[in-house]
Amino acid sequence: MVREVSESCMDSLLTEIVSSYCNRFYATKPELAARRIEAIGYQVGHQLTERYTIERPRFNDHLEAIKFICKDFWFELFKKQIDNLKTNHRGTFVLQDNKFRWLSRVSVDPSVEISGAAQEPSVMSENKSAQATGLHLYFPCGIIRGALSTLGIPCAVTADISNLPACSFVIRIKV
Amino acid sequence: MIVCIAVVGHQNNPLYIQSFTEADDALKLHHIVHCSLDVVDERVNNPKKSGPMLNETFLGLLYPTENYKVYGYLTNTKVKFILVTTDLDVRDADVRNFFRRFHSAYLDAVSNPFHVPGKKITSKTFAERVSNIVKSVSFHTTG
Amino acid sequence: MEHYPEELRTPPVTLVCIVGHQDLHATISTHLHSEQPPINTLALPDFTKISIIDKSPKENDNQLPSAYTSSGIIKRDWLLKHRTRVPAVVAALFDADQLSGDPAQWLQVCTDLENLKAVIKGRNIKLVVVVVVRFNSKDSITEDSLASLRKRAEVDAKYVITFIPDDASELNQSLNRLGNIFGELAVTFYRDEGRRVKTRLEKKSYGSIEFNVRYCFKVAIYAEFRRDWAEALRMYEDGYHALREMIGTSTRLPPIQRLVEIKMVAEQFHFKISTLLLHGGKVVEAIKWFRQHNASYKKLTGPTEINFFHWEWLARQFLVFAELLETTNATISSPASTVADRTSSDWEFRPAYYYQLAAQYLKEKKSCVEIAVSMMPAETDESCDSIVPSLYVGQYARLLDLGETSVMQLITDEDYTLFALTEEGKKLGDSTEIIALLKKAYEAYNNLKFQRAASFCTLLMAKEYFLTSDYTNSKQHFDKLTSLYRQEGWVTLLWEVLGYLRECSRKLSSAQDFISYSLEMSALPISSISSLQEMKDCGPAGSPSLKQVENIHKEVFAIVREETLNEEGENMGGIEVNSDHPLHLEIDLVSPLRVVLLTSVAFHEQIVKPQAPTSITLSLLSQLPSPVEIDQLEIQFNQSECNFIIVNAQRRESSSISHIHPDRRVETVPVIQLFTNKWLRLTYDIKSVNSGKLECTYVIARIGPHFSISCGAESPANMHDLPLWKFEERLEASPTKDPAIAFSGMKVTQVEEPDPQVDLILGSTGPALVGENFLLPVTLTSKGHSVESGELKINLVDTRGVGLLSPRETEHTSSSDNLHVELLGVLCDPTQDNNDGIRKVQQSFGLVSVPFLNVGDSWSCNLEIQWHRPKPIMLYVSLGYSPSSGAPKVHIHKSLQIEGKTPVVISHRLMLPFRRDPLLLSRLKRSPESGQTVSLPVNETSILVVNATNCTEVPLKLLSMSISEDDATQKNKAKTTCTIQSGIDNDPTLLVPGEEFKKVFTVKPELNASKLNLGSVCLRWRRDHESSKEVVTKQSLPDVNLESPPLVITLECPPHGVLGEPFTYFARIHNQTKLLQEVKFSLSDSQSFVLSGPHNDTTFVLPLSEYILSYKLVPLSSGSLQLPRVTITSVRYSAGFQPTTAASTIFIFPSKPQFLSEPEKKSIPADQAPQQITA
Repeated sequence: MVREVSESCMDSLLTEIVSSYCNRFYATKPELAARRIEAIGYQVGHQLTERYTIERPRFNDHLEAIKFICKDFWFELFKKQIDNLKTNHRGTFVLQDNKFRWLSRVSVDPSVEISGAAQEPSVMSENKSAQATGLHLYFPCGIIRGALSTLGIPCAVTADISNLPACSFVIRIKV
Repeated sequence: MIVCIAVVGHQNNPLYIQSFTEADDALKLHHIVHCSLDVVDERVNNPKKSGPMLNETFLGLLYPTENYKVYGYLTNTKVKFILVTTDLDVRDADVRNFFRRFHSAYLDAVSNPFHVPGKKITSKTFAERVSNIVKSVSFHTTG
Repeated sequence: MEHYPEELRTPPVTLVCIVGHQDLHATISTHLHSEQPPINTLALPDFTKISIIDKSPKENDNQLPSAYTSSGIIKRDWLLKHRTRVPAVVAALFDADQLSGDPAQWLQVCTDLENLKAVIKGRNIKLVVVVVVRFNSKDSITEDSLASLRKRAEVDAKYVITFIPDDASELNQSLNRLGNIFGELAVTFYRDEGRRVKTRLEKKSYGSIEFNVRYCFKVAIYAEFRRDWAEALRMYEDGYHALREMIGTSTRLPPIQRLVEIKMVAEQFHFKISTLLLHGGKVVEAIKWFRQHNASYKKLTGPTEINFFHWEWLARQFLVFAELLETTNATISSPASTVADRTSSDWEFRPAYYYQLAAQYLKEKKSCVEIAVSMMPAETDESCDSIVPSLYVGQYARLLDLGETSVMQLITDEDYTLFALTEEGKKLGDSTEIIALLKKAYEAYNNLKFQRAASFCTLLMAKEYFLTSDYTNSKQHFDKLTSLYRQEGWVTLLWEVLGYLRECSRKLSSAQDFISYSLEMSALPISSISSLQEMKDCGPAGSPSLKQVENIHKEVFAIVREETLNEEGENMGGIEVNSDHPLHLEIDLVSPLRVVLLTSVAFHEQIVKPQAPTSITLSLLSQLPSPVEIDQLEIQFNQSECNFIIVNAQRRESSSISHIHPDRRVETVPVIQLFTNKWLRLTYDIKSVNSGKLECTYVIARIGPHFSISCGAESPANMHDLPLWKFEERLEASPTKDPAIAFSGMKVTQVEEPDPQVDLILGSTGPALVGENFLLPVTLTSKGHSVESGELKINLVDTRGVGLLSPRETEHTSSSDNLHVELLGVLCDPTQDNNDGIRKVQQSFGLVSVPFLNVGDSWSCNLEIQWHRPKPIMLYVSLGYSPSSGAPKVHIHKSLQIEGKTPVVISHRLMLPFRRDPLLLSRLKRSPESGQTVSLPVNETSILVVNATNCTEVPLKLLSMSISEDDATQKNKAKTTCTIQSGIDNDPTLLVPGEEFKKVFTVKPELNASKLNLGSVCLRWRRDHESSKEVVTKQSLPDVNLESPPLVITLECPPHGVLGEPFTYFARIHNQTKLLQEVKFSLSDSQSFVLSGPHNDTTFVLPLSEYILSYKLVPLSSGSLQLPRVTITSVRYSAGFQPTTAASTIFIFPSKPQFLSEPEKKSIPADQAPQQITA
């Protein structure tokens, strides 16, 4: 049985989660909002991993688990695989998705650009849009962290969006 | 007859443990399940001994007690399933089959959005489903 | 294994017998024992003793009824007999003299042989005749005598051998020969014996099944003698199976005794089989065999009154197998090959498993014995004293003493049961043995890192101790378990252990432990397990249930509240808390009692001002099943004056409020009650007096008059999950309502210092100048505080952070050369000076104490700083003081950036004398790198002009400028190499900013050295006000090269000319060498002059003489005019040179000038320096 989710619903949900937490519940405390959104992602990642790893032999090492995230797990979520995987072989992995689905329709608010144009247009607008986009990335970061923690790999996940819509997730495994 | 089935979490903590005996010696079964975790640990930490079935989720017979046989199953997510049965002559395939069904029941239970990862499974539906699986499985008929 | 006799435990060893020639026995038996395989020797000193071989115990016991004789399975002493008394071979040793000498001796030999033959014949024992002969007489033995001996002995020729004891090599040969013959004959003997018995087996010519078993045993033993393990194993197995069949069929003995006998025999068979399998490396087979053995006998418990025997027997099977496995496992490493065999698991290869089961069965036995003893008739029959083990393995009989002889009599099952029970009573306690077995299992598991199985063994041990009322040991063992069960969240297992621990504490009357364990138990998350099913055997605390938990809770609080429980008051067993036995519990971060009381403390602000109120929220959580009322809470801080107490209004009288410090702040709330899993949140204002860290350390809850719990305060920001409860599905609330505090609240806050009310002014007087002692005034003015025990700290730091001049750093680098800026001292007003104050000045750090200042007073000092290099620095000055004595210090920090500037820039220029040009060869072919050093002609006077420019923004007073020789120069060269002269020293001159001062020196190098050090310029100056001190600035001049010029050209012409008036112009070419110099010269025309004289020519200049070119010139125009230029080329050095343009310039007046002042002011003689030239 193939279950599908309307993509627009998913986008709306994510947007609504971010805006609820950042603008309503914890408008004054962005770090709390980020934590909450990440926690939601964590649980989602945890439960999805339980499901997607059924009937699969156990992973031997961290790399195998990361590869699972890059290939099968990502495919289940986004119908595509991670485009590029890099590692320093010391517990840091960089997963790059060249067209991250949840950011593919993010655009920069024009009003921000105008207000920013007064001083240093490029820097200002990039900062603002990066901030806004960054809030949308706590959820997928939480998913990855949840997935890996469930596989027995405690880690910290951050995201980097220097050139949209490409997105890199940096995984640092805790030793 | 299956007398006990347990789900054990990351920290070797029981997430779900249910015995199916008339004699209320559940505590003894708890001890058996707890001790069997040693063997799971050993199997996982010394993979060279396990040979070809290196990463299989099904761990096989963990240890025999005088009256029971204990089987283990370790999911990819480091959750352990322990099965205690009084049937002394059991085919591996039947146990595998049981675990597969149990795993999917477990999966549905933890996928409940109201279930918090890492906490005990208190779902009644899960308990019912497990008891149905246990009832439907009979290792004896296979001889 | 010690249960078994020695002969059963070790593999059988061939036994031979030697008779006669006692002196050789030791040698022979030692040799035989070291043979491979070894042979045991039965050494009989002489032939009279040979009857011992034949002596059978049967003869002693012939009184027994014949029916009884045949009714055993295996005779108890049969194996021992074959191992110690019945030899396979007998060797008769005779001396050679006996054969050939006296007929009487020969006769004796014959008699001995006959006797011997008679003894061994019935048993088919093989005979060897050995003739002992000396080495030197070894040929004396005749074939005849040997033949007759052989005939007498009726043996093969090869079994009559000679033995030569007195020669080393011959002895060795003899021994080997003997050994080989013994080995060969022994194998034959055991084979024959075995075959004989086996024939009977095969023909089935045995009367009963007992014989079948017995024969199997015998054949197997004989096979073992021959080391035919396969045969032995087969026969043992046959016998074992035959024996197993007997259980249902045999009717020979009363049923109980029959079963006992069969089990005992089976045990021996099993032991032999296991040993053979394990020693043969067949571990898997051995384990399978054991499993089968266990399966076939496990159910045969026998009747209830004797079934303890069965359990003991079973326990022994496990113990022995464990021991066997343990000794074998040392050699066989891992059962890796068996993984494919999924029916057995690794556990069965571990002795620990068998030890544990042995203990389990022994425990079973123990309980059966208890039942049996309770059913035993009260009067003990003396008759069982006379029951002894009978002839057969596993049989007992009554020994009837009939005077001379004694008679074995069969006994009834009742008698036997009684006997067995009585025997049981005489033995050591089973508990000790059970604990010993469990300890073995525990250790084995521990070695395997099976901590849970090891813990289980510990649990069983602890329970056994508990049963034997050894509560101290029991508690100790139970205590080891709690941490594992807590950590892994096995609530059921923990419940059991804690129940026992509680009981142990009660028995040991330890109130502290009892209360702790009870509290922990009642706070366990049992709801999830108790709802599922009822459990039994959960220890003294009973099945975990909510009701049980509440009972425990109630009991504990009744004790601490010192209420008497109506019915169970006596049950407390001396556990009380009262004024004589107050109780104080501590709960820290790792305590299991955190579930009982968890305190989270959060300040609402991270930083507060002193005296300013802030809020603190105190949150308490308990997982106890029933509401807990707390009489009083004491909140303790690291600053004890902040401590306060919250009193429950309803319990005001009960709590020990009387011993509260009267100054303490006391808050009253209507009620302090904790409900299960609900935060009790209390928020209070708090004011800190002292600056610094304010941390809440403990919250002490007092319940009842003499019970308190001190709970370490935790910050909500880094609060750990509750042990055990973290696995439960429960409502989790945050300790504070405010999510920000719940997320980041801390139990620590930082109290700031009060604002300083003293001004600290660093007077800045512009940039400092390198070299001077720069004075920086520091002024303190008290405005609102008096300054007490003030301290001024001064720090100089490089602004760029490079070469930080910290005090530590300068201590290491003691040389002040690389120190750029230095704090020289702190100058205080001498009238205010306080001698007792601290004063510590280091190169970049200073500490000065400040005298007491009243409000409104001021105090000042000067910092004396010297710059060695131009460099900007940061000056940090901080003042710490107490506004009043004892009050915490207040700090003021000030900083100032000070530029260190170079006051004067000194530059210099070296010039050759005017209109005198030496030919300096190095100047002609100047290479780029030599451009740095200037060359000076030797013995010629050169001119040195030194410039000093004021680079500052203030006027400077220049006191003097001189050139002093460097120290190094004076040391190296004994005499001066040059003279440097300067004009008269002038009065101090004032240099305004940017102004330049010049002074001219003449230099005349006198020595022909290649290098010349000119020394350094020494400039004395000071700032242009009276108070400032004189500063000396030194700058060394670069070295110059010296060269002696071969040619010197001097131009001579008047200082000026007048238009139209002719004058003479000479160019003197002076040859300073001792060589003839060819010189070309040419004169360029000039339009301003009319001239006469040589134009172009080549001439020779004689050594050390001069050649003069003289011209007569008439100026044609006025002004500064260029003289016709003479170019001179030295042919020898192929170097041409020209006087400089400046040298060949002359001023022509239009008409004769009229000078008002002295003419020498205008004309500058070459050898006299000008005093001052303003730029």
